[in-house]
Amino acid sequence: MTEPIIPPAPEVPEAPAGPYVYDYAASPQRQVVMPKTVPLPSYRTYLAEVKAAAEADEAKWKKMQADYETAKAKAEAEGKDAPKPPVRPVPRKDDNDLKTPWPQEAKDADLLLLQELLGAKVEEIFEQAGELTCQLEKSALHEALLLCRDHEGLRYEMLADQSATHYPAASDFAYSVVYHLTSISRRKRLRLRILVPEGFVPESACSVYPSANWMEREIFDMLGISFANHPDMTRILCPDDWEGHALRKDYPVVGWGQRDVAFREDRGGMIERIALQKAGQLGINLKQPKAD
Amino acid sequence: MGVMQPSAFEQILITTKVEKVMNWSRATSVWPVTFGLACCAIEMMAAGASRFDFDRFGAGIFRATPRQADLMIIAGTVTYKMAPVIKTLYDQMPEPKWVIAMGSCATAGGPFDSYHTIQGVDKIIPVDVFIPGCPPRPESLIYGFMKLQDKIMTSSLADRYKDIFEEVG
Repeated sequence: MTEPIIPPAPEVPEAPAGPYVYDYAASPQRQVVMPKTVPLPSYRTYLAEVKAAAEADEAKWKKMQADYETAKAKAEAEGKDAPKPPVRPVPRKDDNDLKTPWPQEAKDADLLLLQELLGAKVEEIFEQAGELTCQLEKSALHEALLLCRDHEGLRYEMLADQSATHYPAASDFAYSVVYHLTSISRRKRLRLRILVPEGFVPESACSVYPSANWMEREIFDMLGISFANHPDMTRILCPDDWEGHALRKDYPVVGWGQRDVAFREDRGGMIERIALQKAGQLGINLKQPKAD
Repeated sequence: MGVMQPSAFEQILITTKVEKVMNWSRATSVWPVTFGLACCAIEMMAAGASRFDFDRFGAGIFRATPRQADLMIIAGTVTYKMAPVIKTLYDQMPEPKWVIAMGSCATAGGPFDSYHTIQGVDKIIPVDVFIPGCPPRPESLIYGFMKLQDKIMTSSLADRYKDIFEEVG
């Protein structure tokens, strides 16, 4: 008598202990994907890209010709008909209206004047879609801002915007800081750009353009670039006791989930700081204990 | 004739409970705080304006201070930076007080599964009525408010102070 075939018992997964808690750290959306490229517009890299594409095209054509030669020789040896000679493909005509505007050589008088005034401190100047960009050495920024504001031929009175971007894939720098200047009297706009490595402390623009105050605080809050000689280098958007900088590419933006909210009387010393500031305005020294 | 005629006593008196009168007075004059956080606040303003007229339910008097208010409508996204402020405002409101979480952000974080948003305002303060929607229309807010009125009407003093009564013994 043969033993009856017992079907194997289905594997029952063990029930998780306690209430079900979504593991946010393991969630796929929580995983940080670091960018592989540096999408920083630049005339120099654009020229290099165009040159590399032309070289690749030429190499492909050479290979097609060599293949044809070998195929021809083989056909002759076997006594067959010669193959068709290759035709060089005509490059496709691009619709320029659909392409993003590519960087072009600088022809604007302002950019040329800046290059003339600053000399080797200007790393690159180019125009893109009618916008002027001047990339500077990171140490020459303060001098360039002063020139842009005060020089008779430039007269950029306003710092309209200041922001920064994180480029973790770049090898020689980590962040680009851009300054968007506006000349109200001349109806022109100019962009200054510096590339700074991790940990570099650029000079604050507050002494030249007071509007840089809050924008630099925002850059510090979001990216962690602190500026030298800034009157109040603290966080502006996040709470004072926040950890990390949210606009860095390695910061997970999704899926923190349910966190406990801590309530403290004075988060990060904000109230103490304001009190000291107000007392300083009134001429009271709160830091030193009063003598009896 | 077999028809019960009400006595003279019943014609001049209404008998009810003190609790019911108190609940009725509370439910029909709920004063909210003037307090909006994001786009839901626009709908809250629309509910307060003439077309929807929140004042029909006795809740049109938006007080500019939490010390005079009974109801807090959390209209919008609650961020970690705003959380201590909301908690302070809630603590400043006198008892009895109620909270409506309006919209999906205040209810459960909404689309912001992100580093800065609290996933529901009930993480920091107790909520009586949740109103879904992004943002909820004024009709939804009014319906949620009517539900709150029902809750107030069915509430009892004994329930409200149950913990204290039990402690006292």
